[in-house]
Amino acid sequence: MDAVSNKKAKYNFLKFKQDIPLYLLALPGVIALLVFAYLPMTGIILVFKDYNFKGGIFNSPWAEPIYKNFVFFFNNVSTAMRATGLTVMYNLLFFITGTIFAIGISIMLSEISGKKFIKISQSIMFLPYFISWMVMGAILFAMLNAESGLINQFRISMGLDTYDFYSQPKAWILILVIVNTWQSCGYNSIIYYGVITGIDSSLYEAAKVDGATKLQCIMKITIPLLKPTVIILFLLSVGNMLKGNLNMIIGLTNLNPVLFSTTDLIDVFVYRSGVKNGEMAFASAVSLYQSIFGFLLVVIANKVASKFDKDATLF
Amino acid sequence: MRRKGMTTDKLLTVIFYILLILISAICIFPIVFAVIGSFTLESEVALNGFSLFPAQLSTETYQYVFQSQGSKLLNAYKVSILTTICGTLLSLFVTVTYAYVISVKDFRFGNKLAFFAYFTMLFNGGMLAWYLICTKYLGLKDNMFAMFLPYVMNVFNMYLMRNFFKGLPYELMESAKIDGAGHFSILVQIVLPLSKAGIVTVGLFYALQYWNDFYLPLMLINNEKYYSIQYILYKMMSNIQYLAANPSSSVASHIILPAQTIKMAITCIAIGPIILIYPFIQKHFVKGVIVGALKG
Repeated sequence: MDAVSNKKAKYNFLKFKQDIPLYLLALPGVIALLVFAYLPMTGIILVFKDYNFKGGIFNSPWAEPIYKNFVFFFNNVSTAMRATGLTVMYNLLFFITGTIFAIGISIMLSEISGKKFIKISQSIMFLPYFISWMVMGAILFAMLNAESGLINQFRISMGLDTYDFYSQPKAWILILVIVNTWQSCGYNSIIYYGVITGIDSSLYEAAKVDGATKLQCIMKITIPLLKPTVIILFLLSVGNMLKGNLNMIIGLTNLNPVLFSTTDLIDVFVYRSGVKNGEMAFASAVSLYQSIFGFLLVVIANKVASKFDKDATLF
Repeated sequence: MRRKGMTTDKLLTVIFYILLILISAICIFPIVFAVIGSFTLESEVALNGFSLFPAQLSTETYQYVFQSQGSKLLNAYKVSILTTICGTLLSLFVTVTYAYVISVKDFRFGNKLAFFAYFTMLFNGGMLAWYLICTKYLGLKDNMFAMFLPYVMNVFNMYLMRNFFKGLPYELMESAKIDGAGHFSILVQIVLPLSKAGIVTVGLFYALQYWNDFYLPLMLINNEKYYSIQYILYKMMSNIQYLAANPSSSVASHIILPAQTIKMAITCIAIGPIILIYPFIQKHFVKGVIVGALKG
């Protein structure tokens, strides 16, 4: 008995000694995560605090009453709801248009035979993914502005009035969707193209023998087989429904207040009220609300996604 | 019937080619447009606006930019390059080591560490808390470290790296272990040389993130000394758009939108390095997306 446990202890010690390098190797990453991800999580107590600059997160006095910031939140609930509605709306629109284009592109790529053509067009379509929102915003401004923009020059040459996109909030729903699709369709089509090239080619051969046309093959074989991927990617995007792309809005609209009725996403709102204007009370409540509901969404989406596909639970 | 099918198939293929060429053209159009814009004369833009076919191509804008703001731009370029290099190297180090640890098969805490990283993607303290922690408690305000430290570990890239490691033949590491090799030497002598492609891919993703970033300077930088090229562009845009957004304000009425072509020139300067090396690196990205999509 004693000998066995002794052996076990010795083994554990040996194992531990062997594993020491692993602990050391994990250390930088653990520190990075602790400092930049876990430490900010403590910041959610802000919502119960009466923030002042001197006290910071931890030494500011507790809010009086403790739920004071939530009162703010519920008194201004329409702003928070507008931000939530916009964030979810854009994420849905981005997903739908993005998926349609990505699938379309990947199907077209898989149906043509020129290897060189496939490679070149794929890398051209992937290129926008590497252009920052700031750069895109500058180019967009040169295209859209009322005085010298490309589109308005075209309108003038057609004898039409100029159209000032930068004072038309509604136009930005379309603009943001187009620019987002432009930026991400190449990236997403690579994922779908990968799935399509993985489809068993005997399916197509059998269909061909039966006299099916290309179009029929696409509609009856390719698209149905892409369905699980679409569902998984959708579920995973549900987890990010409450995340607004602040970089995109700053880059493209420069937080132009005229456009807030269609561009004030949750992140934009927290940024401009909390970070820029220092109105911590409301911003912290909105931020907490976003974190908690975002967390619930991710967990639920992951649960559902794992029902469809065991390996798809990661993101 | 059969022949009809063949001809519609051929027609479909032709349509696909045309559509793909069209989409590719749309994808590259804004970039071409920016390049043309940067070589257009400012006077022509002021008179006729931007055009795809300017009457005259000229390097006047670039000459002007380098003469009037040369030192500022040069400094911004230096900041961008320095952040990209330091950030990428540090990130790669942290990512590779962590990914290796969680890819080791029989490590007791492997799963726990994987979850430790994964959880940060599920839940976060929000931008506000992050901002306060960085500026008030970590001293990441107006210094070079603020430009890359907060991005040091990207969990998505870390999982990508782990997927590359997991694709390596397990027997190699096992036999090295039997020969008495420790984890350090397995990592340095076996894993790293075998996953060069993966490291290049992840490194490029990081480099791109650092080069394109203007979130960190936006949040953490006030001092002009640390402006990156992206942030300079942001500053220019916000000055100009303010005027454009308030046409009624007294200043705007007698200012012709200044320096339109300058913005295009700086845009081209900002994307120049990416465009130049893109043909050589794009295959790594394509591979990275595919490996990243096959999470496991």
